[in-house]
Amino acid sequence: MELIILLICGGLTIITSLLVIFARNTVHSALWMVASFFFMAVLYLLLQAEFIAILQIIVYAGAIMMFIIYAIMMLNLRQEEQAPVRKTKVVGVVALLVLFLELLVVGVGRGLLAVKGPVTDQLMAKFGHVAVLSNFLFSDYVLPFELASILLTAGVVGAVILAKQKSE
Amino acid sequence: MVAYQNLYLALAVVLFIIGAIGAITRRNAIVVFMCIEIMLGAVNLVFITFGRANQSVDGIFMVMFVMAVAAAEAAVGLAIFILMYRKRGTINVESFNLMKW
Repeated sequence: MELIILLICGGLTIITSLLVIFARNTVHSALWMVASFFFMAVLYLLLQAEFIAILQIIVYAGAIMMFIIYAIMMLNLRQEEQAPVRKTKVVGVVALLVLFLELLVVGVGRGLLAVKGPVTDQLMAKFGHVAVLSNFLFSDYVLPFELASILLTAGVVGAVILAKQKSE
Repeated sequence: MVAYQNLYLALAVVLFIIGAIGAITRRNAIVVFMCIEIMLGAVNLVFITFGRANQSVDGIFMVMFVMAVAAAEAAVGLAIFILMYRKRGTINVESFNLMKW
């Protein structure tokens, strides 16, 4: 059962990601991207990361993609002009493919030799996913958590200052 | 080991390649930005797979912080695109050569 869902959603993630690249219209790209994030959230559910699956839909498919679609509408883009494909880009893509095929051959198929952590499925089932996560988030990870809030504030202030019209 | 761990990892590699090819070949800056988001998603998938394989929450927290950074990056990146559009009238990445000599 898990295999069937994994194959269907994995295949749909790949297809929608390819459509993001190959769609001519930028708005269509953005909408295929929302679909891609949605199928990726299903994969997170299969990996029993429910909280991340919810965050994926709220933050990525909701907030960030809405932001991108607003930007596309504000910029009033024309269709992307066709330019001849440059030789350097072809070489770049081929080199990239070779690099990652190597990665696929070497990396996939081996597990990481690491010490197993304390968070077993039984623990998750007993206390609940979010309860276990919040215990870690507000003890071990409290400094990165606060730093993330500072980063987001700095990002918003920077965006406002960059996009503000200069008043003469 | 997670069930079908290799399938998840292979899927993540394929998604990363798709995102990287899009980031190299497309000229529209917003599409390039979305391709980078695809690559981030592929990396998130690897983090969660290995985090679950090692019975650890570190993978999940890494993904949460990647999401926070991606949100901040989207805000600043799109502000830069709007600024470039005002200055140049296009967001074709090949016309972004201010820092080129």
